[in-house]
Amino acid sequence: MLDKVYSGFGYWDVFIWLLFFAISAALVLFVRSMGRNDYKEGTDQDEIFYGSNPVPEDGADMGVPAASAYWGFVEALKPYYNALIDIHSGIASDYVGYFVLTVAIVAVLVLL
Amino acid sequence: MNWQIHLPALVLAVPLLGAFASPVAGLGGRATRNAWMIFISVLTTAVCIMLWQKVIAGGTAVYVMGAEAWNITLPSGLSWPVRIILEVDAFSAFMAVVGSIAALAGAFFSLRFMDRFTGLEKFSALYFLLVTGMLGMQLTGDLFNFFVFLEIASVASFGLIAFWRDRPEAVEASFKYMVISTISAMFILIAVGFFYGRYNAVNIAAVARMLQMGYAEKIALVFLVVSLAMKCGAVPMHMWTPDAYAEAPAGVTCLLVAVSQASLYGLFRVCFSLYGASLGSTVVPWTIIVMGVLSMFIGVTMAVIQKEIKRLMAYHSVSQIGYILMALGVGLLALRDPQAMADYGFTAMKGGIFHIINYTMYKGLLFLTAGAVFYSAGSRNLNELGGLARVMPQTTFMFVIAAAAIAGLPPFNGFVSKLLIYQSTFAVYPLLAVAALVTSVLTLASFVKVFQTAFLGPAKKTYENVTEVPASMLLGMSLLTIVIIALTLFPGWTLSHLVEPAAKALVDQAGYISAVMGGGL
Repeated sequence: MLDKVYSGFGYWDVFIWLLFFAISAALVLFVRSMGRNDYKEGTDQDEIFYGSNPVPEDGADMGVPAASAYWGFVEALKPYYNALIDIHSGIASDYVGYFVLTVAIVAVLVLL
Repeated sequence: MNWQIHLPALVLAVPLLGAFASPVAGLGGRATRNAWMIFISVLTTAVCIMLWQKVIAGGTAVYVMGAEAWNITLPSGLSWPVRIILEVDAFSAFMAVVGSIAALAGAFFSLRFMDRFTGLEKFSALYFLLVTGMLGMQLTGDLFNFFVFLEIASVASFGLIAFWRDRPEAVEASFKYMVISTISAMFILIAVGFFYGRYNAVNIAAVARMLQMGYAEKIALVFLVVSLAMKCGAVPMHMWTPDAYAEAPAGVTCLLVAVSQASLYGLFRVCFSLYGASLGSTVVPWTIIVMGVLSMFIGVTMAVIQKEIKRLMAYHSVSQIGYILMALGVGLLALRDPQAMADYGFTAMKGGIFHIINYTMYKGLLFLTAGAVFYSAGSRNLNELGGLARVMPQTTFMFVIAAAAIAGLPPFNGFVSKLLIYQSTFAVYPLLAVAALVTSVLTLASFVKVFQTAFLGPAKKTYENVTEVPASMLLGMSLLTIVIIALTLFPGWTLSHLVEPAAKALVDQAGYISAVMGGGL
């Protein structure tokens, strides 16, 4: 089949995956249809639960900013990130230095 | 006479005409300029596709500039070519098609995106010069011409990156890129000089036939490999990438992604077609593989901590280039061993080449969606953005598709190329596949962050008047989305019709040489 990809180690068929997706979606919809249907819009049932606090009017006061995303991951790798950020100095002469250094290292490896 | 024999020249002539006639078209006003930009972009794409069809049907195409006949590569009984020769095999044609599609999408997007600014006839002239440079690098069979086209593309890039010259950051990004790019171009020119001094030729096929590995050839190889790796944004020479990609207008960034692939093309043309089996030791393949792994990991880990949407995506470009370098490095490693090539090398090459088209399409689309967010919301800062999915549903939908594809989520096209890369690199050294998998997980993590912070969440008052971008910008994004969906649904067709012929052409050094050195007839 045209859409089947053989990698030499196995194969990939996108349509089998899509079939799996369709079956999963049907199951999800079936389970959803078994739920209660006495939900009332515009009542207390409709309100956002915000830790028992009043919900801020502006969404800007609610979300998690990008700066806080993956805080633990970054904190755990702090020494790695400190070194990496130091390398990314933003100075043009550093860029040239890394380029020349790479040329020198690869030249030594190739010429030896 | 069959006009299709002139397709290689037309691929360069059409965007070059587009560039030089842009100021004239600009005199006719906004509508004429826009129509000219789209007409040239569509025509360039059409010519590239026709050239690809011709090459797939008839084999490698050569085109000699200035000879008595277009196909006489060795005129007047000479034993080596002296004229400018375009040599287009399936790999070159594949790259040209990929690049021209990205250029077309960028052109559609730029129509309205750039409308708020002045000097647009200069913008479209530089845009088409960049397209010409990119396509020239991919079609030329001549090392010196490769340098010339590289410089055309570089100079046009400098102007386009600094196009918003009222932004100091844009001028600074362009200056930094100019410094590093010019120095690397000088290294390339010195390498070409080495070949001219040693072999009295600069034609790739002619030099490849005569090449004997000595000190000059080794130094030239180092200069070419490292310079071109820098131009495509490989670690540790990638620092210009986030600056340049973030500051260029979004349509230009989409094209810059394709232009970086032209440098990658040059790198592998040098390794496979110029040096080929003469490479000898495994130092160069392993150097490329190590650069690939470093690019993947450092690129993605830097992306995770970014707070500016285009800088985040630019670091992902570094990371994605790493996949391609690693895969084609593995192919290069297996080049002299037919058994290794059959076992894993060719699969790695197919994965790498498939990743080139995937990467260009989804990365181009991601940059366009970032541009759309900037156009509508006026910010690229992820700390400020939020809730945009409510007001920009089409952009959000296309962002999700591109993000899922770059993260390698099944069933998207990125998954298929990554699968081929994982499995083939595992056969060489399992840690390579582990590095690629970890990179993929971190890629998903950082795009989840973008999706959550920019598109999801409650509506923010600052953005309550934000609306979806205009139709022409959506059209540019839709073009790439359609290509991604097609690549997702028909990976088998893509591999057998686009990728495998390109991979076979790349490993067939004898075929590349004989197309020119056989006389061309």
